[in-house]
Amino acid sequence: MKGRTLYALLIIGVVLALLASCRPAATPTTPPPAAPATPTTVPPPTQPPVRKVATFIFTQEPDVLNPLYTNMWFSSITQQIWNCWAWDFDDQNTPRPVLVKEMPSVENGGISADGRVITLKLRDDIVWSDGTPITSEDFVFTYEMTMSPKNTVASTFPYDKLEKVEAPDPRTVVMTFKEPFAAWQATLWHGLLPAHVLRPVFEKEGTIDNAEWNRAPTVGCGPFVFKEWESGSFIRFVANEKYWLGRPKIDEIFIRIVPDDASQVAALKAGDGDLGTFIAYSDIPTLEQAGVQMVKVFSGYNEGWYFYLHPEKGHPALKDVRVRQAIALALDRFSICKDLLLGLTKPPATYWANTPWQDPTLEPWPYDPERAKQLLDEAGWKDTNGDGVRDKDGVELVLVHGTTTREIRRDVQAVAQQQLAQVGIKLELVNAEPDIFFGSYGEGGPCATGQYDIFQYSTTVNYPDPETADWLCKEIPSDENPAGTNWQAVCDEELDRLFKLQATQVDPAERQKTFHQISRIVFEKVYWLGLWEDPDIWAVGPRLKNVRLSGASPFFNIVEWDLSQ
Amino acid sequence: MTVTLKVTVTSPNVTVTSPTPPPMLRYIIRRLLQAIPLLFIISVILFLLMQNMGDPLATLGGRQVTRSEDRQRLARQLGLDKPIYIQYLYWLIGNDWTKMDLDGDGIPETPGRRKGVLRGDFGISLVSKRPVVEVIWDRLPNTLLLMGTTELVIIIGALVIGMYSALRQYSVLDHLITAISFIGYSMPIFFIALLSMYIFSVNFKRWGLPYLPTVGMFDPQVGKTPGQVALHMVLPVFSLSFIYFAAYSRYVRSAMLEVLSQDYIRTARAKGLPRPTIIFIHALKNASLPLVTVVGLDLPFLLAGAIVTERIFAWPGMGRLFIDHVSRGDTPVVMGILMMIAVAVVVFQILTDIVYAWLDPRIRYD
Repeated sequence: MKGRTLYALLIIGVVLALLASCRPAATPTTPPPAAPATPTTVPPPTQPPVRKVATFIFTQEPDVLNPLYTNMWFSSITQQIWNCWAWDFDDQNTPRPVLVKEMPSVENGGISADGRVITLKLRDDIVWSDGTPITSEDFVFTYEMTMSPKNTVASTFPYDKLEKVEAPDPRTVVMTFKEPFAAWQATLWHGLLPAHVLRPVFEKEGTIDNAEWNRAPTVGCGPFVFKEWESGSFIRFVANEKYWLGRPKIDEIFIRIVPDDASQVAALKAGDGDLGTFIAYSDIPTLEQAGVQMVKVFSGYNEGWYFYLHPEKGHPALKDVRVRQAIALALDRFSICKDLLLGLTKPPATYWANTPWQDPTLEPWPYDPERAKQLLDEAGWKDTNGDGVRDKDGVELVLVHGTTTREIRRDVQAVAQQQLAQVGIKLELVNAEPDIFFGSYGEGGPCATGQYDIFQYSTTVNYPDPETADWLCKEIPSDENPAGTNWQAVCDEELDRLFKLQATQVDPAERQKTFHQISRIVFEKVYWLGLWEDPDIWAVGPRLKNVRLSGASPFFNIVEWDLSQ
Repeated sequence: MTVTLKVTVTSPNVTVTSPTPPPMLRYIIRRLLQAIPLLFIISVILFLLMQNMGDPLATLGGRQVTRSEDRQRLARQLGLDKPIYIQYLYWLIGNDWTKMDLDGDGIPETPGRRKGVLRGDFGISLVSKRPVVEVIWDRLPNTLLLMGTTELVIIIGALVIGMYSALRQYSVLDHLITAISFIGYSMPIFFIALLSMYIFSVNFKRWGLPYLPTVGMFDPQVGKTPGQVALHMVLPVFSLSFIYFAAYSRYVRSAMLEVLSQDYIRTARAKGLPRPTIIFIHALKNASLPLVTVVGLDLPFLLAGAIVTERIFAWPGMGRLFIDHVSRGDTPVVMGILMMIAVAVVVFQILTDIVYAWLDPRIRYD
């Protein structure tokens, strides 16, 4: 009996200790560390104002912060917080000068007539967070560090397109390209290195690979300054008092690393995070119920089908444009968006949907199975042997459809199989893990080596730039070109000519005209069939105010963000 | 592992006689010497296996495939284009005795900088560009804090529950505890972790009850105080303990039942010794042997952390470090973690043997 009483007391003690250690169920307003543990409803007037700390949730931890050393999206999006781009992009994808006085153009003399020389005029008031002026020397240094063989930078692109970068005076940067480079606006000067901090490191160690600044950039040029990074846990940034576009309204950005998607959703619901991203469509309704605002931001990703059109290895049916058009008409992508994606997105007309590069008059192919059947009949694909699948010259209209193992992609495969069967096309479904699926021709990747007749995924390159080498005839992978990127093996002479032309058009307006032609050809010949627009989905908690998010540089207006307490 | 058991014919008694130091010391030295070739073989096997864990340069963690020009350049600069045995050699003894070709002109011109594992240099992480020792050292205290607390909770809980179940065998509470611990044992950790998070954090807050935090180690508004860290540990420790209670408490229960039926316990009772002395001094000590075996085997793996729990509760421990770096093919960090665990297994096995001898004087290491 005595023992039982002891156990009972022990259990009660543990429960009480747990409850005592729980936080009070008050509003998220918490007193600063010095304040007493018991919150008071009316703070005394002498109490200092509560610091505004916004908590962002990242599902992946950045590897390093130095922009030259990372390809990670979660690292690059921090650059609008603590580093600076020469210009970033607003929520309409319009370039917004940050370090330069204005965007270079042919009219203002910033771009030479032959398109090879671009001159940047820097603002007079730009300074690093330690007060040192930002000058053209920082640009030259950044270029030199990227190209130095002693530094293991993630990519030398696009700086390897440059012949030289010069600094005729502290406020002028002159870039000379080997040949006109159309993608300069979307790809250059994503982050700047402070020469006065890193040059001594390079001179002493012969490399900046191991510089402390790579992970602890205490000198920056963004609205916030790096303060602390605890591996696997958090990264803190505090307001930069010297920021030339004004002090941010928020005092501190606390980035919490939460790798699990379900935990991220729980944290957002519980108010333990003010901002999250990579939210699944299925979580949107419950988050909205919890008062979290969901924001869709297009960053160039459109999910779609690629058709393997290799002249020798491709399926004969797919080489006929009428068959591809029939597939577009027979697949009810509108229902897929409505039923499988909760009506939160819609089918894109082309690969470049939601960018200025798509011809705005284009509309997605409608759902019209009867017209699809007519087109297949016209193309000579009929069910002659009564097995329910069309055939021609002894070849059955059976197509292998491959995609990754992602849940939503598997679901779409099943729906597509049913819908295409109704017009006499049989789909055989295959799935592969991403590391295998995205393998190159040299690595035996199933898409690149033509193992699938149709393959499905979404990608984008250098958003908001439309430049892509995926469509050039010379990029068709082969034994001689195992790294070729044109996996669908499409080779259309007119398309090839236009893609080559746009790559040299430094003037965005001219380039846009070319791209409208490109998008129309890709649409009409159904070289790519859009399934759903795949925006980045951000969850913005109820405390955050003035939030605008852009696809290319999400936190472009973070200086204006505020936090209601 | 060669353990020679010398069992004496005398009945177990309650007095402890320490093994003579020289044989024990000789045993420890012998075991440590045996560990050297063992660790070497382990390192070779692990290094070979890591080469099949994916290409660290394939995407560099980004959304796009790395350009082939960058891939070739990085492979050259990082020495990943060298044959596997050369890469292993550099990992083991360093490359500061040779020169590297960084600019791709075919002429090695830059002296290597790595000293190699044998000289205490575990290399630089391919992901974070930091020394491996620093990368691991950042996470180890967090893991030890979480896993140490969990292990302590499990051991104390298992002893309390196991002993209670043994002493009150087939009572209602024994059945209840057994049922609950088996429910925990049968549940996947992610389920209990997410369930507890939704109940005690999300829903408790919604219902206006005192609630626990969901993720992380502290509330940024308050700061990293010991109280905050303790508060954030409640749910992960609870989730981890809940699933391990069953196994541990069953070991204690069965061992206690066996010991309690021994003659010497009856003798102790007959002598009129107080009940707590019989249970805690005479019975528990002898019943602890199976638990020591399990704990001894488990301890080195505490260093490895708990992958799922750390991921769900965003606890910055070794488990997440391991999985993050394996997914990026970061050989230096993964090798560092695995070799640390291998060394820990060897050391803890020796310690377990020592504790064995202390607990059971019948065991001798000759």
